[in-house]
Order: sequence, then C-alpha cells, then structure tokens
Amino acid sequence: MSAASQSPRISASGLRMAALLLFIVIYTAYSAGPFVWVASMSLRTTTEIAANPYALPWPWHFDKFASAWLDSNYDTYFFNSVSIVLSAVALLTIIGGMAAHCFARYRFRFKGVVYFLIFSTIIFPPQVTVIGLFQIMVDYGLYNSRIGLVLVYVSIQLPVTIYILEAFFARIPKDLFEAARIDGYSEWAIFWKISLPVALPAISTTVILNTILLWNEFLYAVVLITEDDKRTLPLGVLRFLGDQLEDVGMIATGLMIAIVPVVLIYVFFSERLIQGMTAGAVK
Amino acid sequence: MTNSSPPAKKEKDHANPLGAITTFLLPALLIYAAFTALPVLRTFYNSTHLIVPNRPAEWVGFTHYVELWTDRIFWKAVWNTLTWAAVAPILEVTIAILLALCLYAKVPFSRVLRVAWFTPVLMSYVVVGILWMWIYNYEWGALNTMLRGLGLESWAQPWLGHPDTALASLIAVTTWMWTGFNMVVILAAMSSLPSEVLEAAELDNCGWFSKLWFVILPLIRPTLLNLIVLSFIGKMKVFDLVWVTTQGNPLWATETVSTYVYKRAFQWSTFDLGYPSTIAVVWFFIVLSGVLGLTFLFRQKDKLEY
Amino acid sequence: MTFRNTTAAIAVAAGLAAGAVHAQELTLWSHWADQAAKVEFVESAAKAFEEANPGVTVKINWYQKEPLYAALKTALTAGQGPDIFYAETSQTEYMANGLVLDLKDKLNWDAIEPWATEVWGYEGGVYGFPLEAWTVETYVNTALAEKAGVEIPVEGLVGAAFVDVVKTIKAADITPMSQGVGDRPYPGAFLTHDILLKKLGAEDYASLLKGGDVKWDDPRVREGLEYAKEIIDAGAFPASFSSIKLGEAHRYFHTSPGAVMLQMGSFYPSRAFAAPDAGGQPDGFDISISHGPIPEGAACPKCKTIAVGGSYVINAGSEHGDLAAAFLNSMATPEMGNKWLEANLVQTGIKADPSKITGDKAAYLQKLAAANEGASYTYGIPVQQMQGTPRETFTQTVNQAFPAGLIGVDEVIDMMSSAY
Repeated sequence: MSAASQSPRISASGLRMAALLLFIVIYTAYSAGPFVWVASMSLRTTTEIAANPYALPWPWHFDKFASAWLDSNYDTYFFNSVSIVLSAVALLTIIGGMAAHCFARYRFRFKGVVYFLIFSTIIFPPQVTVIGLFQIMVDYGLYNSRIGLVLVYVSIQLPVTIYILEAFFARIPKDLFEAARIDGYSEWAIFWKISLPVALPAISTTVILNTILLWNEFLYAVVLITEDDKRTLPLGVLRFLGDQLEDVGMIATGLMIAIVPVVLIYVFFSERLIQGMTAGAVK
Repeated sequence: MTNSSPPAKKEKDHANPLGAITTFLLPALLIYAAFTALPVLRTFYNSTHLIVPNRPAEWVGFTHYVELWTDRIFWKAVWNTLTWAAVAPILEVTIAILLALCLYAKVPFSRVLRVAWFTPVLMSYVVVGILWMWIYNYEWGALNTMLRGLGLESWAQPWLGHPDTALASLIAVTTWMWTGFNMVVILAAMSSLPSEVLEAAELDNCGWFSKLWFVILPLIRPTLLNLIVLSFIGKMKVFDLVWVTTQGNPLWATETVSTYVYKRAFQWSTFDLGYPSTIAVVWFFIVLSGVLGLTFLFRQKDKLEY
Repeated sequence: MTFRNTTAAIAVAAGLAAGAVHAQELTLWSHWADQAAKVEFVESAAKAFEEANPGVTVKINWYQKEPLYAALKTALTAGQGPDIFYAETSQTEYMANGLVLDLKDKLNWDAIEPWATEVWGYEGGVYGFPLEAWTVETYVNTALAEKAGVEIPVEGLVGAAFVDVVKTIKAADITPMSQGVGDRPYPGAFLTHDILLKKLGAEDYASLLKGGDVKWDDPRVREGLEYAKEIIDAGAFPASFSSIKLGEAHRYFHTSPGAVMLQMGSFYPSRAFAAPDAGGQPDGFDISISHGPIPEGAACPKCKTIAVGGSYVINAGSEHGDLAAAFLNSMATPEMGNKWLEANLVQTGIKADPSKITGDKAAYLQKLAAANEGASYTYGIPVQQMQGTPRETFTQTVNQAFPAGLIGVDEVIDMMSSAY
C-alpha cells in the first residue's frame, strides 16, 4: 500500500481508538467507581466518612475488619454462607446438569410439557410462594434448618440452571454421543465423561450465576431461618444497617468481607470459562 | 433405579432408554415437585379463596380477580415492571456486546478490565441499594457532586425522589449491576467462535461493524437470546433493590409487582393471602405471554424442537 | 388440642409452684436488634425471670423490624411462631384472626397506664403489653435558631407567625425543618398530621382517617392542608427530603448541615443521645421542645399525639401461655418502668415516676414533660389508625409527595377521597 493512502486511514483509526478509549474509561469509572468508593470507605470510620465522603482513607483502619469479624458473629454467618452456598451450587450443577442432559439428548413423551412446567414457575414472585413454601417446610420438618435452606436454594435456581445448560448441551454434536455409545459407554458415563467436560463453559456460567445469587440471597434466609447461629451473611450485613444509625463505615467493611469469596470464585471460574471456550474453538 | 438399563424390554428404544431418562430427570423433578410445584399450586388455590389463619379457607370465587382489575396501583406496578423488563435487557446486552468486543480485541489491561467491569454483580442488592442511595443523594451524593463540579448545578436533583427520574435511576442501577455479567458470557461465546470464520471475514475486508453485524452476532445469537430472557425474567421479579431504596415511592413511580405483592402480603395489616396470590397468578400469565413472545420473536429461525 | 393446652397450663402451674420440675423454654422474637438499651432491658428482665424460675429459659431472637414482620407473618400463618413476640397497636390483624392471647385476666394491668391499656383493647379484650410509648414533638436546635434570629416558644406559634419563622430561617440559608421519608412510611406526614389534628380536634380527625363522616373535601381539611402547603412552599424541608432516612434526618438536624427544627417521635433520644461518633448529637448540643405549628381557627390547639410503640403479645398457639404472661408481668412494675425511662429516655406504657430520675438525663425528661403539660392526646399516628388502600395512599401522598412539593392540596384531596 502506498503511503499516501495510509496516512488518512491512520488518523481515522486514531480517532476511533481515542473514542474507544474514552468509552472504556467512562464505563470503567461507572462500573468500578462505586466499588472503589466502598473499598475506601471500608477502611474509614463513619465519622470520617460523614466529614468528607470522598477523602482518601488515611489512616487505614484495618482493625475494622477484625472487629466486624469478631464482634458481630461474622465468622458464624460466613461459615454458614460458605457451607450452604457450596452445597447448593454443587447439587445444582449435578442435578441441573443431569436434567439438562436428559432434555437435550433424549426424546420422550411429555418432554415439552415437563420442560414448560419447570421453566414457567420461575416467574412466580417468591414473595408470595414463600408463604406456601414455609408451610411445607414446617410439614417436612425442614424449617429452621440449613439442609432445608440448601434444598430451597436448589429448587429456586434449578430452572435457570437447566435452561442455560440445556441450550448448551443441545449444541453438542450428536456424532460425539454416537461414537461414545459405539465405544461401549453407558448412558451415565456419556453424561459424566462427555457432556459435562464439554459443557464446562456453560457450567462455569451457571456456577458463577448461582453462587452470586445465592450468596446474596435474602428473603428465604430471613423467613426460613430463625436462629442466629444458622443465619447467613446477607443478614450479617443487615446488622450494621440498623434503623438507629446507618453505620456507613461498618457496612462497607462487612460488604468487603462478604465480597472476597465471590470475587475469588469469579476469578477462578472466569479463567476456566474463557479457556474452555477457546480450547473448544481451537479443536 | 440407578441401573441405566430399562426393566421394560418390550419396546426397546436404544437411543432413548427410559431408565436413563428417569434416572437423569428424577432428582430434579422431585425437588421441583416438593419445593416449587406445591407452593405454586397453593398460590393458585389461594387466589380464589379467603385465607386467614385458624379458619378454614373460604371459597370466594373470582372476586379477587375482579378487584384486581380495577386496582390502579397494580396496573401502575405492571407498567413500571414491564418498562423495566423491556428497557434493561436491551441496555445490558448492547453495552455488554461493546465491552466484550473491546476485550475480544485485546485492548490494554483487558484482564484487569474484565474483573473491574464484573465487580458490580458481586454485591448483594441490599448493599447495592444503599450504595446507590448514597450516590443519588441530593446534598453529597457522587452524581450531584460531579454535576456541580462540571458546572451543571441546575441538573442536580434528588434522583430517586422525583417521579420523573426515579424509575430511570433504578434502571441505571440494574444495568450497572448486570452488564458485566452479560459481557463475560458474551465474551466466552465470542471466544468459542471458530477462528476460520473470522479470518474469512478479515480477508473479505469487511468493516468492523459489518463483521460484528453479519458474522459475530448471528453466530452468538443463542447466547444473546439466553441473556435477554434471563435479564427479562430477573427484571420481572425485581424486588430487593426497590425495597431498599424507594419502597415504590414516590407516588408509586417505582412500584413493581413484587414490591406490591410484598406490601399486600406482609404489610397491609391483614393475613389474607388470597389477594396477593391473585396478583401472582395474573402476573404469571402476563409474564408467560411475554416470555413466549420473546422466544417466538428470536427463535423463528433456529427453533428448538420439543 | 384443648386437652394438650390444659395439661400444659397445669404443668406450668405445677412447675411454677414446685419451683421447676422440668425444663421449659420460652421463645421471644423481638425488634430492636440494634437498640442496645432496649436489648439490655429485656435481656436483664429475662435473666431475672430465669433466676426466679429455675428450669425456665427465655430464648430471645433479635431482629430488625422488617425481617421480623416477614418471619412472623409466615410463621404464624403456618401455625408456628414464638411464645411471645413484638407487635404494634396497628396490627389489629393479630386480634382479628385470634392469633394472640387475650391478656385481660393475665396481666397486672394496675401497673400499666390506662391509655396504654385502652390502645391495646380490641372487642372487649386487651392484647398487648405496652413497653414503649412516644409522643410527637417538635425539637428545636437552639443554637441554630439563635443564629437565624428566630425564637420558637414552647407553646408553639400560631398561623402566619410560624410561616414567617420558616421564611426567616430559609432567608438565612439554613434548613428550617429536617425530615426524610427514605425508610419510614410516616415521618413526612408529621407536619400535616399535627396541623389537621389541631384543626379538626381528635374526634373529627379520627373520623377523617378512618373514612367516617368527616371527608377529605371538608373545608376545614382544605384549610389545614393549605396551611401546611404554605409552610412547605416556604421551603421548610430539605431538597433531599424523599431519600433521607429516619436516622439521617436526626443527623441532619443536629450535626450536618443542621436544621432549626425536627418533628419527631419522642424516641428521638434513642438515636441522638448516643456518642457523637455513633451518630449522636455533638457534645454540648442544646435542644428545646415546642409545640408544632398551630393553624388559625384550631378546634384543639392543645392536641398532641401519643402512640404506643413496641409491645409484646403472646402467641395464642403457645403451649406456655401462662408462663409467658408471668414473664411479661415480671416487667410490669414501677421499678422496671423507671428503669426503662432511664435507659431509653422514651415514655413507656408501664406506670413510672419520672421525678425519681436524677442526673444529666433528668433535664431532658423535664423539658419533655413541660411540652406535654395540659396536652390532650389522640392515640396513634395516622399509619397506625389506617389500613389498606387509604393507608398506602396516605403514605404516598401526605407522607411523601405533598411535603416534597410534588403535588398540591387539590391532588391530595382527590387521591385521598378516592382511596376509601
């Protein structure tokens, strides 16, 4: 290409680059700004924040993390949240994956009806069904129990999990399964050794989504758990949100503690997600 | 039960073994029946009854439905929620596509940006609500402080306090929250595109826009549809954010169906579950038609068969 | 069922008499999770009760109000729930559905203020143990009032005089009245409520709220609303009125940026008397308490509002009803009443003797008593007296949109009229 035709194109693309950078900068400020603000507030006391909401945190009050953790029963809440959310997400992945695999792979009678039934109920506002659910939990003897909460969490996220996974499973080439069957794989082995690994990106999506939503779930946690020892983190954060005083500094600290595990899960799974996708594409 | 070979040997369908189907589906169905279907059936039942504790349920026919028909707050809430559910998915997915493209094109710092753009969704709605109330605060909130700093003093206003801006301000919050999530999923879908296709497009010397419009978007269409449906459903149920920030104020400008149901079920000094259940049932059918409509709209071509 | 209840009652009686034969557990769900003084009060009462009744344990779960109500509503609907729980007088649904025990013959009512007993009355029974009570007061930030060059006497200002004061303060670039409706359905209505109450008198006002003979298009109501509108339009409230939360309204009043007046329940000290870095008022802060604005031609210029706040009720399905009542009775003594006053600086339904209280808090209680001298009371703020659609509409209009300046007198009258 001649130099003459190149120079105007460079300036055009330079302009485009500048616009792109501006967009990125503005969006990053919009998306990460509030988080940075909370992070800075988590190191400041409420009095300091009230004096100037936007000052830099100095001195750093790291002791606030210790006091949030120790004085407010945070360790118990944290442990409960971790165990409940982990169990629920693990169950969801397996049970939802099995059902999605079934919907995507096999033909059977009433498949459309079953799928429709499962999927349509997620529209119901939980604010209403929670009352019926409560009565049922009492009947089952699962009221005020962590296992009960895990099962409820599985049930509320199940439709979406199936929905996402089914869409992905349906796109796995049928030949793959045929080949496996000829190789003598059982139906279970096909699911476990072929469907699941191939669907890793979709599974990562559901794991991330379910973890985030359940980690922050609030309504069921309030209604189905009464004992303080069994409560989860969102209720712990709420503790600082008293109607006496909005303890801005402590809320921010509590929030940072609550957010770390999900960030870790995200960082871990999002790498997997992208890698899995790219690996699949290269093959 | 755990054995995948079916006991019925009469009509053997090797491709669709009944035993395997049952095994795969049973756990999900059990949980579904026990924890979802029963409460939902109860809700249907409740909607035609007067349900108060310590008394047998009393059949009231469709009086709740008639009452609902003239309930202005309910229709206001329906309108607000539908607006939210129509606007938010478009905003989220459109911005998410642009962001994903930036990362796909490997702009500098893309790993950092990927985390930065995603962080909002990690916070719980309760905290997000408080945070944005601070941001929208009239006196010292970040938004008004910024506007004043830019010399736009007259633009500063109580964003959540005025009926004209309250709903839009909340939509901006959910968009802030969920765009990053959509971005990650779209990015993953883009990364899985076969590179030959993109290279071919490169050779044809397409502009980046036509490359996006004619090559990339059609290929990730199923992902986009999923995201739009997910976002749509999420907005149909939006509750926590409104509850923490405005509780439906001012003048029902941010009332959503979920907040109204909650008010009726938990706050209206009555134990009657009938009326809130009716709202849920009517809403169920409204949303169902919405989802079916969406699916129809997007899936005409690549229809899945059930 | 009855058999079981009877045996339970006998067992309780026997247990009490014999000094604990077997272990019993009373459960109590209460609001006030973050109000240390109240938690302390109830916990120590529980401890004393446990010591007096060996074998009995009182298990208390503390909640915030919102989660508590959600948990209670679901639990009670399913026939579950704690033995004792927190309730407020507006929650007549508990009585209407037979969910709470009639305490008429179970509690020591001699130790309870008659008005508090009356408020908890329902169809011949009495249902709640009224721990907390409060009046609606107009607090004045003395230093700021002086700075703005206005004087607000204890007996309040009449008609245009109040509007002029608001205008003078506003002209000095100070917020006349702090208030916010960010998290509560009632504080924004204090101004209008107080004016209408004085204008109509307690009886007609109650009739207005409850949809009786007095209607919202009554000329007196219009005059009252117009008076309130004048005050609002004079710039009485902060621009951020809609999003300010109850706790913030306090801070706004006493710390930053500061306002001359704050109309608030007399539960004001529970927040304001905390340490400054826990959201309390600054050291050496001086307040006075006055009557709110009095409209021209008021039927009852001395009318004030007293509300019974947090109370305890007993679950009708409880197996330990009598034991629960015994626990509540252990709190119904003048000593406990004084202890409550001293710890919380807010009134109580338990008969108490404020004159016995000494120390730095005595001055505040005297001011409060002075502001209530000769007052005649109406019971409960509007949201406690109303239900259903009228309540919701009142919350959205009189409590929020009207004081925020979003709607005028005509819209309020229209919307309220069509809500009944």
